[in-house]
Amino acid sequence: MNYQKEEIKQGITLHNLHTENFKTNLYAVFLTIPLQRETTTLNALIGAVLRRGTQNLQTQEQISKQLEGMYGASFNCGIEKTGDNHVLKFYLETLSDEFLPEPENLTEKCISIILDIAFNPLTVNGTFKPEYVEGEKKNLKQIIESKIDNKAKYAYDRCIEEMFKNKPYGLYKFGYVEDLEKITPETLYKQYQQLIANCKIDIFCSGRINSKELSEQIKQNSNIKKLQERKPQYIVNNEKTEQKEDIEVNTVEESMQVTQGKLVIGLDIKDTQENSRYVASVYSAILGGGANSKLFQNVREKQSLAYTAGSSYLKPKSSIFIRCGIEIQNYKKALDTIKEQLEDMKNGKFSEEDLENAKKLIIASIDSITEEQDTEITYYYGQELSDRFVTVEDYKKYISEVTSKQVTELANKIQINTIYFLKD
Amino acid sequence: MKIIESLKIKEKAYIEKLENGMTIIIVPKKNTKKKYIIWGTHFGSIDNRFIMPQTGEEVFIPDGVAHFLEHKMFEQPNGTNSLDTLMALGIDANAYTTNDHTAYLFECTDNFYEGLDELMDYVQHPYFTDENVEKEKGIIGQEINMYDDDPSWQLYMNALDCLYKENPIKIDIAGSIESISKITPDVLYKCYNTFYNPSNMTMVICGDFEPEQILQEIKNRLLPKENQGEIKRIYPPKENEKNKSEKVSKMEVSTPMFMIGYKDTQNNKENIIQKHIAIEILLNMIIGKSSNLYQQLYENGTLLSQPDLDYEFTDQYAHILISGFSKDPKLVKQKIDETIQKMQENGLDDEHFNRIKKKIYGDYVVEYNSVADISRMFLADSMKGINSFDYIEEFETVSKEYAEAVLKDIFKEENEAISIIEPNE
Repeated sequence: MNYQKEEIKQGITLHNLHTENFKTNLYAVFLTIPLQRETTTLNALIGAVLRRGTQNLQTQEQISKQLEGMYGASFNCGIEKTGDNHVLKFYLETLSDEFLPEPENLTEKCISIILDIAFNPLTVNGTFKPEYVEGEKKNLKQIIESKIDNKAKYAYDRCIEEMFKNKPYGLYKFGYVEDLEKITPETLYKQYQQLIANCKIDIFCSGRINSKELSEQIKQNSNIKKLQERKPQYIVNNEKTEQKEDIEVNTVEESMQVTQGKLVIGLDIKDTQENSRYVASVYSAILGGGANSKLFQNVREKQSLAYTAGSSYLKPKSSIFIRCGIEIQNYKKALDTIKEQLEDMKNGKFSEEDLENAKKLIIASIDSITEEQDTEITYYYGQELSDRFVTVEDYKKYISEVTSKQVTELANKIQINTIYFLKD
Repeated sequence: MKIIESLKIKEKAYIEKLENGMTIIIVPKKNTKKKYIIWGTHFGSIDNRFIMPQTGEEVFIPDGVAHFLEHKMFEQPNGTNSLDTLMALGIDANAYTTNDHTAYLFECTDNFYEGLDELMDYVQHPYFTDENVEKEKGIIGQEINMYDDDPSWQLYMNALDCLYKENPIKIDIAGSIESISKITPDVLYKCYNTFYNPSNMTMVICGDFEPEQILQEIKNRLLPKENQGEIKRIYPPKENEKNKSEKVSKMEVSTPMFMIGYKDTQNNKENIIQKHIAIEILLNMIIGKSSNLYQQLYENGTLLSQPDLDYEFTDQYAHILISGFSKDPKLVKQKIDETIQKMQENGLDDEHFNRIKKKIYGDYVVEYNSVADISRMFLADSMKGINSFDYIEEFETVSKEYAEAVLKDIFKEENEAISIIEPNE
């Protein structure tokens, strides 16, 4: 197997994914802590400020110059929600040494830069540089406000917000404008220190990298040496941890300037049996996984009610989301058609062929995990956070073993939680 | 088969031109599980007037036909849809239409030959009826509505409206609800018979293949067809002047969006690769991540992130596009103008030029990471008569002096325009 995992210190893990299928090496550092209303905006801002400069490369210009000189190495950082965790993600991609026009050792440089950005920020008088904090506050404000720009994404975010009201997963990953005003360089730096002292740290490297040298370089890195051992406080999410209550269906309608309506329906899966996630994947694929799915066929093809119609399974939260772009006056008809499909699933009204098609679709997506470096990293990271270890081969096997009886049984444990409609 | 090779990135491409005129490009990739195939016809939204080679008839078609035809190709006489059939095989299939070509593709790890059967069957068997054409109008109408709500698409269309008075690139790829209402099976068959002739088509395959073997498999599945020769396309004459300097629209967005365009009136095939590379270097020097201008605009909050930088070209049009978000788009434009003027007067900085050149090299090599990127790149380039490896090979030959000449030729005020989308009141 091409995957090796090593604990550098308690709470700090190095993952090496050896592969020769790419022209590039990809390095990633993930910092994971529980999602909380009080720290959401702070964490989102931290990522943005870290990107601005380190003690060694004090401005973004210096960082960019350095990366451009490394054949356009690309650095990216972002903030994500994974289950009930807030994750700061840093990525650095470079050409593998083999494809450089002139020989050079880029690996060592990359490790040093990415760790420098995450753990060695530029500080002035013991706190973040005030200009950077002020600048990034303005930018983050615009990012939060731009939530409305992509209507399909907005409708999906709003449905999640309604469905997980007052729960960690309902929080917006970029935080809230009202929290931004109060943030000072001091409060932000304090949160940063809290964060790096307690978070779970995962370092991923993928490509043509010698694992012994890599491990040595990381252990000898001065930024890693500075970090304390920790009992990381992250949240494990899997089908067993997600208990769902019985609730009334929550229907929300909102108006905006749109010509096409966006309908999002959030479903609860009330099944906490171990490994029910494989059945749920297959269920969601039959319902709305692709062009053969019940939603695509019945909502789009047969009735021309929608241009897009599908569903996706949100594994860490045991939820399924149905998403359609529809003509506004077709709302009721589309909703009825969708509900019919859910009923059909409960009554086992799908063919063996539907089941096989759904499995093929999922297996094809599992096969493609190793075909992209960031996808493979995300796969192993997902395992860390669900506290499971399943190889890609086993994953395929479990999917292929799912029966229609299991799917029907699961369908009867699925109920609508929230119906969200964005109209004009 | 002709073999072309790039030693720098250790890749080869096998090219075969069949008797019926079709071009096949095979890029073998050892050890990858994914296989990708894309079959394109040189027919896009700009081809709205042409002479049918078989009959000599001149045809003028409504806007949006190429895209409509793409949608309809999947439908089979027995009521099945080829997209469904491919999906049922666990194959990720799709199609798309651009300004200058239409492409049918799929990607898979398993069942490649079953997928190949289906792809080559449906692309060679059109089936259009009054009924199925009518039904499609509803679905495409929804798609058009979706684009109407998309600020980035409107931004782009408005930019083109500024740069060109009369050029088919201004036509919306999907057409309008009004224009597609005029589409009939007859129009679709005329376009099919003209543009889906093998002599107007190119196929690219990338994955773990033996070139000779996959070539034979493709030949076995091709229906016999005469090479009809070149299609005469009729376009309005090229104009040197832009249409207008500015277009502003209002939509529901939080931050204004801008797209600054430069029309490249020297559009010809000469040195196109060097020119493309030089333009990419110049754009990065003007407003790339490490540029003084970007740093300044980022730090004072005028720009949120690095603008997107693009050069789009075919024989019919060529333009540069710089786009992004800013609370003050006009200030961005003014600063870009000043920076360009300074660079034109003082020449380019050596260290900066060489650093960006390295960066652009890296960007080209990264394209070779995925079978999908490789295939789509080879197809799009071959529609323009370009061999994709040339970007890697000719990269060295782009000198600072040449880039300086390009900077003076293209980045002129009389060629420049700005499109802005402002938030609603």
